[in-house]
Formats: sequence, structure tokens, C-alpha cells
Amino acid sequence: MSELSQYAILFGLSVGVIGFVLSLFGLARAIGRARSEPGKDVPATAGTLSRDPVWVRYHARYAGYALLFLAFDMEMAFMYPWAVVYREEGLIALLDMGVFLAILFLGLLYGWSQGALRRQ
Amino acid sequence: MTIAGAHAGAMTGLRRLISTAMARDLTAFVLPGASVARSMGLDLAGSPLRIVGTPRHANLLIVVGPLPPGLRDAAAVTYAQMPRPRAILALGAGDIAPLPDADVSAPLTRAGLRSGLADLRRVIAAGAFRADSGEFNAPALEVRVEYTCPMHPEIVRDAPGDCPKCGMTLVPRETASDGHGGHGGHVMPREDRPNPADHAHAGHAQDAGGSGAYICPMHPEVISDAPGKCPKCGMNLAKAEEVESHGHGHGHGHASHAPSAHGDHAGQDDKAGGSGAYTCPMHPEVISDAPGKCPKCGMNLVKAEEVESHGPGHGHGHGDHGGYGKQQDHSGHDGHAGHGGHSKAAIDGIEPHFMSMVEMTKDQPRSSDGLQMDWIKVPFGPFFPGLPAGLRLTLTLDGDTVAASDATSLVGATDLMDGPQMRVADFVERLATMMPLSPVSYRALACAAIEVAAGVEPDHDARRGRAAAVERERIASHLNWLAEFGLQSGFLWLAARAGALQLAVQGADVAGIATQAGAIRRLSRRVQAAPLMRMRLRRIARIGKDAPASGPVDRARGGGSDARTGDPTLKDLGFEMRVRNGGDALARLRLRCDEIAQSLDVIAAAGRIAVPQVPDVDRVSGEGEARIETPRGTASLRVKLANGKVVEADLDTPTDVNIALVETVTAQQELGDALSAVASLDLSPWEVRG
Amino acid sequence: MSILVVLLSLAAGAYALAVIERWAVHGHLSLTGPAWAALALMGRESLLAHKSDRLFFELGPVLLLVAGLMAVAVIPLAPGLIITDLATGALFLNAALAYVLVALIMAGWGPNGAYAMIAGWRFLGQFIAYAMLIVMPITAVAMRAESLSTVEIVASQAQLWNVLYQPVGFVLFVVAAMGLAWLPPLDLPDATGELAGGVEAEYTGVRLAVLRLARMVIILALAGATVTFYLGGWLGPWLPPWAWSAIKILAVAASMLSVGRYMPRIREARYLALSWKLGISLALANIFVVGVIALVVPI
Repeated sequence: MSELSQYAILFGLSVGVIGFVLSLFGLARAIGRARSEPGKDVPATAGTLSRDPVWVRYHARYAGYALLFLAFDMEMAFMYPWAVVYREEGLIALLDMGVFLAILFLGLLYGWSQGALRRQ
Repeated sequence: MTIAGAHAGAMTGLRRLISTAMARDLTAFVLPGASVARSMGLDLAGSPLRIVGTPRHANLLIVVGPLPPGLRDAAAVTYAQMPRPRAILALGAGDIAPLPDADVSAPLTRAGLRSGLADLRRVIAAGAFRADSGEFNAPALEVRVEYTCPMHPEIVRDAPGDCPKCGMTLVPRETASDGHGGHGGHVMPREDRPNPADHAHAGHAQDAGGSGAYICPMHPEVISDAPGKCPKCGMNLAKAEEVESHGHGHGHGHASHAPSAHGDHAGQDDKAGGSGAYTCPMHPEVISDAPGKCPKCGMNLVKAEEVESHGPGHGHGHGDHGGYGKQQDHSGHDGHAGHGGHSKAAIDGIEPHFMSMVEMTKDQPRSSDGLQMDWIKVPFGPFFPGLPAGLRLTLTLDGDTVAASDATSLVGATDLMDGPQMRVADFVERLATMMPLSPVSYRALACAAIEVAAGVEPDHDARRGRAAAVERERIASHLNWLAEFGLQSGFLWLAARAGALQLAVQGADVAGIATQAGAIRRLSRRVQAAPLMRMRLRRIARIGKDAPASGPVDRARGGGSDARTGDPTLKDLGFEMRVRNGGDALARLRLRCDEIAQSLDVIAAAGRIAVPQVPDVDRVSGEGEARIETPRGTASLRVKLANGKVVEADLDTPTDVNIALVETVTAQQELGDALSAVASLDLSPWEVRG
Repeated sequence: MSILVVLLSLAAGAYALAVIERWAVHGHLSLTGPAWAALALMGRESLLAHKSDRLFFELGPVLLLVAGLMAVAVIPLAPGLIITDLATGALFLNAALAYVLVALIMAGWGPNGAYAMIAGWRFLGQFIAYAMLIVMPITAVAMRAESLSTVEIVASQAQLWNVLYQPVGFVLFVVAAMGLAWLPPLDLPDATGELAGGVEAEYTGVRLAVLRLARMVIILALAGATVTFYLGGWLGPWLPPWAWSAIKILAVAASMLSVGRYMPRIREARYLALSWKLGISLALANIFVVGVIALVVPI
């Protein structure tokens, strides 16, 4: 079948799933709605009520890894089409991509040596 | 038949089916904890219940044993957070106020548990839905509204008004009514925090709104069609177009927006430095000859010279106050005092009063890598799965790193005596029930102290039997610790197996223990050899040689003391103090496994186990002190007898010593490591007396 | 028609997986257990925290389910039995499963609760660790098959399964798949002992039911992906192809669910370090080695 009809099927599937979930929600609502009581709507923290909001700037310690991830993710975007035509193209394809991968790998090694690959 | 926590609705056909489903699928949350339940002999894991770690996923609250007064509020909170329909099963619990009356009560035995569950199934299937179910309320759940200043979080008042420091209108904030909501000074005052997408658009107020033409400079999401005051901070609302540059400045201190805001303020600074003696710290363009309130934001005007170079800084200061969990008081003004002299040489292409983020946040507490981020205060207790029940651990988290910790016990510090004098048997009983995690050791301690005070010597067999009983409890306690550790670290096989072995060992005689000995040794070998175990525990919770510690925590750093070394009875039975090197959590795990093996040997050598008997004392008087090595460390008790009755008693427990280590072992650790560290200390909150 | 059959088998597979999970965690096998649990969850109150971000909170489980289903849509159960045989099936699978991250971050941020929020951001760290190790082995598989279509990939294993052709890739892919489905020992987002339920903690009632269903679907999708990429899909003697698919997928899913009980949770810092230092090096070496073998050996 054509690509367009395949994506139409996938779209229909998503819409169907969302409809299914909404009908489940509707069914649950018909069975009984939630009742608001004091203390019930505070996020559960092991027995102590903590009403403080937690939407704050989160200090993520994996920033070094995240930056390297961006570089490698861009590389993988190139590798998908390369992988499909690889066998056809032969040794040249291996060498071309090998150089690219080697450069990126050197970048990884450099980051490792500079301490990017650790908990900040 | 009905349950107090029934779901609203009449019982129709579908609901009847669902009630049956709920009765068959019981998920339970255990108060005070599964470890206490196991110590009391209940096999909850073997029953058809599913035990969960959060009340949100539970439809049954099981109260095991009498509820200590310190945990009643927390129990009420836990019950309130369970979704309806919810039921309570009380096993030997007596009065559980402020919880509603238990739906099913049963004695604290295995048969009681079975019959209680059977009754509960019937009750839930019949009563899960009820047309008129009452509301649950308790004093612990009440909300109190307090008023605080957005720029000075330490100013807290009970009534609306103005901040005494800067004059801004105080904003309301919810807090708990029992004073625990005093996470006061450093919690963000704003109630409706925009989601992260909005942060970047703080300045794009115009995009955010539909029709409104007036917005608040500090709260871009507040939009109105008419001029007025912002409901959150009391500042006058400004026209949307004017606010944009201010919005950038007031947003969240993004350095990239700084130049435009500074450009604004810088231009206006010159005006401020000119005529006029008073100006607003946040709006340098407002100049007045007399003190008063700024017409734009409502703040008190201050003398112009003070403000001159602080203008843009204040703008950013407000942004910073957008919502930080800060530790100390470092309100915008204080922070800016440090920036007073940023009249450094101008950099080409950057505005003259440009301040980098590093400068702006100079006086605020920093994380270990130098960045200043928001901190939040999170409670982990008293009913946190994997941590000892009754321990309230409050961690100040900087991302997922612990910046500060505070451990208190909600079940400790009960009086040893319930009157001016007590019968000896009552005293021993009271001490044993006060420590549900190691009752036999404390019973032995009390008996020994009273014997010393009365001058009575127990005979050889009784001493051996008592030592064996204490060793049996040591095995049970270490297995209990292993089970909790398994739960805490996700090693579920260990949690199940160690729990089952603990229950098997707890009441067994020497022959019974001998049959379990092989399985126990295999378990401890397997735990130490588990994949990823070394990686998990190595160098976690390291304590130095000079920190005061007791018990396995002390002996795991290559030395230490053990109260059993001076005991001739134990030496006869082949006891030798076991020690491990390393001082970290892995060493403690290995040491506890070694101690289990040794206790098995001692029990086999002793030949019989005798629970400590209350000594028969005539009407003697005297003082005596005894020490014993409980599974967690050395405990010592001093008693004074008068005429055969106990009149004074003084107890030192190992957890009093070890709980001070919580701060050292959790500092700057990742959250999971910090919790493993606290778990490795094997604290018993019931023993905390300080 | 085949769409309906695949969806029905997905439903049956998800139920079977729930039974297996219950058995792995609690020790007793109960065939009606998940049905009763689902009914019970439908009848419980579905709570909403008072200062939550309603959109994110509601969207989390739904997006998780949609992502899982999109991933299942490209898994072939038998020749011709696939919802959509996209020419870029392997890429599409990866893209659909990337939404698991978005859904969990939404679920973590939504309820404005400390445990959930920390769990959500920890999952982001876990994502950075596993993301490359899912993609690189897929690339190596596609190199052998000369196509990204999942049907072609299965067909290319007719003479030798990829698990033997590229064992390093297999190991890396399975570990990364467990990270994606946040299965223990990589269950940082819903660690019971560390975060009392984490991202799942604030969901109750029907929303929790949808979340759990979504998780089963994702685990099935990942087991299906493992079987498709490495274990020969529907290939096998004597039994019909759909039976082989069913057996293999359920076996892989059951082992993924049960292996985590026997070891403690891995620490996030160690997981990141291992993935990036050891994992990426192995994955790149794997691509190179497979490249050489693919040029030399004709199968």
C-alpha cells in the first residue's frame, strides 16, 4: 500500500487510541467521580503534608552527557540512510563513515579526558 | 455492612461487580511499616495482599499494633491521601484516632490476619459504594493561609498587609496548620507557577493573553482588561506594550535578556541621578521629592543615591525571587548590597550596568559545582518504603543532590517510667514493648540491670539461654534489615526471601534455627555476590574513624567495640568480635552477614534458647547498670531500685549516637545514594531518646 | 483485517504480560488477577493534585499509550501480519518510542509533587544513557538487511539470526530496551524504595489503569523489536509463523520482567558512565565489525 495510506492508518490508530482512552475516562466518571476532601489533593510524600510547589529549576547533573548526546544524535540521523545503501556501495561506504565515526569518537574521548563524562 | 471510606454512589449492578473486583484485589499500605509488622510476627507478604509503597495505590490501610501518638497525624494524612473506596484493618491496634473507626478489627496474630482479611473482603464487596459517605477531616489536614512578601520570604504574617521592609503587598500562601509548613523562608511565594514553556516567554506577555491589555510586570500570566492591582503581588498593572522590556528584566534573570532590560534601566538611571530625592528600587524612572509609595508597584520609595546602580540589579532580583527554595535569607536587597560596586570598566558592546548571572547570584547559596539553582525541601517519612518507619527525614534537594538533611524520630523519647515507681515486671514489659524492632534485647538489658541492682546472679544455664535468645534476635534483626535494604534498592528477591527467613527464625527453637541455618547462609552469600551490589554500595555512606558510632556501623571501619567482648558466657560459646574494613555501606552489609553467621554458630553451641525472665527480687534497694549489644549497637541501662520497685531509670541507645551520622552520610550525595546511606545505618527510630 | 488481528493479539499479549508480571513479583500465578485489578482500578477515584498542570498530567499516560501503539504498528507477527509495513519501519519504531521520554517528563512535571518531578528528570538522565545504545545496534541490523523495513529485516535473518551475527549489538539493545521501558534494574523513574512510586505515584484510578496498560504495550513493543531485529521474527521450523512470534515475544518479555528482581537498582551516575564509556565504544565497534563482515560474507 502507498505510504500515504500507511500514515493515514497510523493516524487513524492514534485517534482510535485516544478515543478509547476517553471512553474509559467517561466510563470511570460514570461509575463515580472523585470527591475533594482536605488533604487528599496534596501530592503524597510519605505521611507528611508538603504543600510547597516543586516547579523549580532542576539542577541536572548530566549536562556533559547531554551535550555529547546531541552530537551523536546528529550523527545517527546520517547513519540511517547510509546503513540502507551500505552493502551496495561497498568498501568506500565503510571508509567514508568510518572516518566520520572516528572523528566523533575522538570527540568523545576528548570529552572523557576533560571530565564531561561524569556527574557534574 | 459498610466502610467509612466508601465511594459516593448508589450500589448498582456495575458497581457491585466493581466492588467484588476490589475485594479480590486488595492493595495495602502498612502502618507503621512492613518491618515492624514482621518483627511482630505477621506474615503480610505471604497473604494474598499486595503491599504498595504509596497510599495512592492502596485501597486498604493496615494498622499493626497500637499506633504511637507521634504517628497519629501522619496516619491521618496517609488515610486522607488514599483514593476512595478505602478501608482500614486494625490488627491489635486499639484506638486509632484521628483515623475513623477501623472497618475490621482483629487480633495481632496470623490467624487474626486471615480472619480479618476474610471479613474485609465481605465488607468491601458489600459496602464499597454508598450513596452518602461522610468526609474525612483531621486537624493535621487543615490548611492555614499565611501572607508573605515576594521579595522577602522571611516575612510571614497571618493577615494581609504590607511588607515592613519594602512596602509591597503581602501575597497569600498555603501552609499546613501544625507548623511543619514553616518551610517558610525559602519557598516560593507564587501559587500558580507557569509551566516551563512559559519561563522562556516571560517577556512575551502579549502573546500569552487573549484580550487583555494590562498585565503585571512580575507575573506575565496575570492579564486584565482594565488597570488595577495584580492579585498576586499588589503591583499596579501596566499596559502590555510597556511591560515587555520590563518583563525581560523581571523574568527570570536570563542573561540573554539582560542587555535590553539594562538598556532600559540604564537610560533611566541617568534621570534618577538627576533631580528628585526619592525613587523606587524597581522603577528608577519614578522620581519624587518626598517619601511615599511607588505609583507603579506600591513599594516604598527610597533615597535616590542608594538606588542608582542597583536599578537593573533589582529587576533581576525580582526575577530571581520568582521561586527559589533558598536556605538562608538573602532577599533581593541583601543580594544587591553586594553588588553595589559594579562600576567596573565598561565592556564594548555591552550596556554599562550589565551584570552577569554569576555576579547577580553572588550571595546566594551555591551547589557543589558552582551553579546557583533552586532548592526544594522534601519530606521522606515517616512512612517511606525502605526507610525505617517513624523516621522523618527531610532533605533539601538541589536537583537530585542532597544539600542538607534533617532526621528526626516521631516515635522516640517516650518515658521509661509511667509513674514514680513501677513493679519490676511492669518495667521490663514496658521497655520491651517500647522497642518493637528488638524487644528481646531490651528485655535482657532490663533484666540484667535489675539483677545487678538487686545483687541477684542468674545461673549458668539461664545466662546461656539468654545469650542465645539475644543472638537469635540479632539474626532476625539483620534479616529484617536485609529485607528493608532489598526493598529500598529494588532487589525484590532479597526483600521477599530475607523477610520469609526472618519470620521463620523469630520464634524458632534451636532445632528450628538449625534447619534454617543452611538457607540463611546461602542467602548471605548470594547477597554479597549479587551483580551490581558492589557498584551500588561501594564508597557510599563513608564515615571517618573519629565520628562517634555504635554497633555494626562502628565495627565496619576496621576497629570499634562490642559489648559482648567482656562477657564470659559468650566467650564460652565461641564469640569473637567481627570487624570489617572500609567504613562504607558495603562493609556494613558484609559485616552484618558475618554477624548472622556467627550468631548461628553461637546458638548452635548454646543448645537452648530461653527468653529472659524477670528476676525475682525481694524488697531490696540498690543501683545497677548493665550494657548489652543490641543488633544496632551498645545500649546501656541504669536502674535504681527502692524496696523492690524501680524508681529511676536511664537508658542510652545506639541509635542516639548513629542518628547524628545522617547528616554526614547524606551530604552532597545523589538522592538514591543518600537513601541507601541512611538505610545502611540501620536506625531504629523507637530508640531515639535525645 | 490484519490490523484487527494484530490489535487483538496485542491485547491478548498485554494481558498475558500482566499475568506474568504478577507472577514474577508476587510469586503466585493468577489468570484472572489482572482482570480484577483493572476493574477495581476503574472504580476507584481518579485524583488530581490541587496545583497540578492539568494538561501534562492527563496527557502523560495517553501519550505513553499512543507511543507504544505506534511502535507496535511496525512489528511483524507473520509474513503479511503487520499493521503498517513502513519502508522506514526501524526508524519509525525508534521515533515512536522517543515519545516515552516526553510522556514521562509530562507525568513527572504535571502533579507538582516532589517525588514525581525528581523521577521525571531522572528518567531524562536515563534517556541520555540509553538513546544511543538503541539506535546504533539498529543501524548495524539495517546494514545487514539493506533496508529499514522490519519485514525485510526479519527476512534477512533467514540463514542466521542476528543474535549470533551481532551478539554485542544484541546485548546492548536489550539493556537499552530495559532502560526505555524503565524495568528494574533500570527503573529510576518509578523506584519504589527511592521515590515511593515516582512518576506513577500520583496517578490513581482510571489514569493509573491507562498508564499500566501503556507500560505493558511498550514492553511488548520492545520485546517485539528485539525479536524482530535479533531473534528472527517469525522464522522457525514446524510451527506456524505466528506461533513462533508469540512464543519468542512472550519469552523475551518475561525474561525482561523477571531479571530485575535479582539485582539492586543501578545508580544513575554509574549507568550514564557505563553507557557512554563502555557502551558507545562497543556499539561503534559493533557497527564497524558488522560492516566488515557484511561486505565479506554474503548472508
